[in-house]
Amino acid sequence: MFALKHVNYQNILRYPDMTIPAGVTTCICGESGSGKSTLLKLLNGVISPTEGEITYSNQTLEAYDPILLRREVLLVSQSVYLFDKSIKDNFNEYYAYRNIDALCEAGMNRYLDICSVSLPLTSMCHVLSGGERQRVFIAINLSYQPKVLMLDEPTSALDDKNATALIEHVKAYCNENQITLIIVSHDKAIAEKYADNIIELAGGVKE
Amino acid sequence: MNDIISLNIGQFALIYLLLLVVLSVMKKCRINQTKLLVVASVRMTVQLVLAGLILTYIFDNPHPVFTVLYILIMTGFACYMAIRRNKTINRNFKWIVAASLSASGIAIVCFFIMAVVGVSIFNPQYTIPISGMIMGNAMTGVSLGIKTFHENIHSQRARIDALVNMGVTPPRILTPFANQAIETALLPTLNSMLGMGIISLPGMMTGQILSGTLPMTAILYQIAIIIAISAVTCLSVFCALFFGYRTLYNKRNQIII
Repeated sequence: MFALKHVNYQNILRYPDMTIPAGVTTCICGESGSGKSTLLKLLNGVISPTEGEITYSNQTLEAYDPILLRREVLLVSQSVYLFDKSIKDNFNEYYAYRNIDALCEAGMNRYLDICSVSLPLTSMCHVLSGGERQRVFIAINLSYQPKVLMLDEPTSALDDKNATALIEHVKAYCNENQITLIIVSHDKAIAEKYADNIIELAGGVKE
Repeated sequence: MNDIISLNIGQFALIYLLLLVVLSVMKKCRINQTKLLVVASVRMTVQLVLAGLILTYIFDNPHPVFTVLYILIMTGFACYMAIRRNKTINRNFKWIVAASLSASGIAIVCFFIMAVVGVSIFNPQYTIPISGMIMGNAMTGVSLGIKTFHENIHSQRARIDALVNMGVTPPRILTPFANQAIETALLPTLNSMLGMGIISLPGMMTGQILSGTLPMTAILYQIAIIIAISAVTCLSVFCALFFGYRTLYNKRNQIII
């Protein structure tokens, strides 16, 4: 699905050539500073490589409309942002930004369930815990039904039990819907348990 | 009405005594700004004396070139000050701020002088003081608007990133920030309108009354200038942000802040 060739970002990060297969779960591991988050940003075109080429579905990223590409290859970054409103209003606000019709309440609850959020839709987001906010944020992103879902440290604010449940459910949903899942995690246990394919970014790639 | 009493230098010097009041309060409250107080007072005195001398010369020898030159220098300074207070914005953004401020300011001044007052734009007695008020207020408004915009996009970086990652277009993401900044820039002028005539007799009106103008004429000028100020603030901040936010993303719709 993705292929990287001689990719270099601002001469700080040099990536080994790699391919990321479609329809499976790929985990990207490595120490902090090895360029995991940057790799995800490169893949959805939020930033561009200084050198080298990235192809998506056999076409270079430059050939895609950047906005449509980001909608198709969705990145859920580590920094969660929710509006100071209820969960339902957050769904609506983000949908309005994307210019798509609002989701019905049953639909919202379905995605919240997948992400193990068992809170009423009227809960105000600014009083939720860090872990709850992270899961609500992932649920909203998941509901966009992208072709590729990239999660950056999705379990950083979660305890082991919640982390396992979240990854398990999200992976199952992605498998059912032929969504390619890419997870960045410094937690090797998660990678070994859920990944069909592991990419290890060594600190040595850095210059 | 009587003509204004000219201040003689001896009487005038008395007002500087009030600075001693400021100074003693500062000492008492350990406000470490004595140097600023002295520098500011001296600068103000020197700059205004110079302005007085130049205006006297221009009024005695009215020539369109002088009026135009005065306005250009004033506009240049307004742009310089507005940009100096917002050093961190990118180069193109700075040019856009300067262009918006100059164009809106000069357009409103021309409208005020030629259409409302109905005199020639080269008449220094009207054009110079009116453009001073309009440019000064436009500068304050633009500085405030750009500062608010810039601070908000930095403090809400997580929101911008989330929306960018979701495939929302940069204009859609940045417009709410621009709208918010225009509102912030406009509010002080609108709020001051509320109290006008009750808790404040604005400077221009006070000046005109002191120099013998009929109060009813003075208020007409005052109302006109306040409306012109709110228009110039709104227009210059709107143009600066509407064209300026486009410098914050590239052709690949990547945000470059």
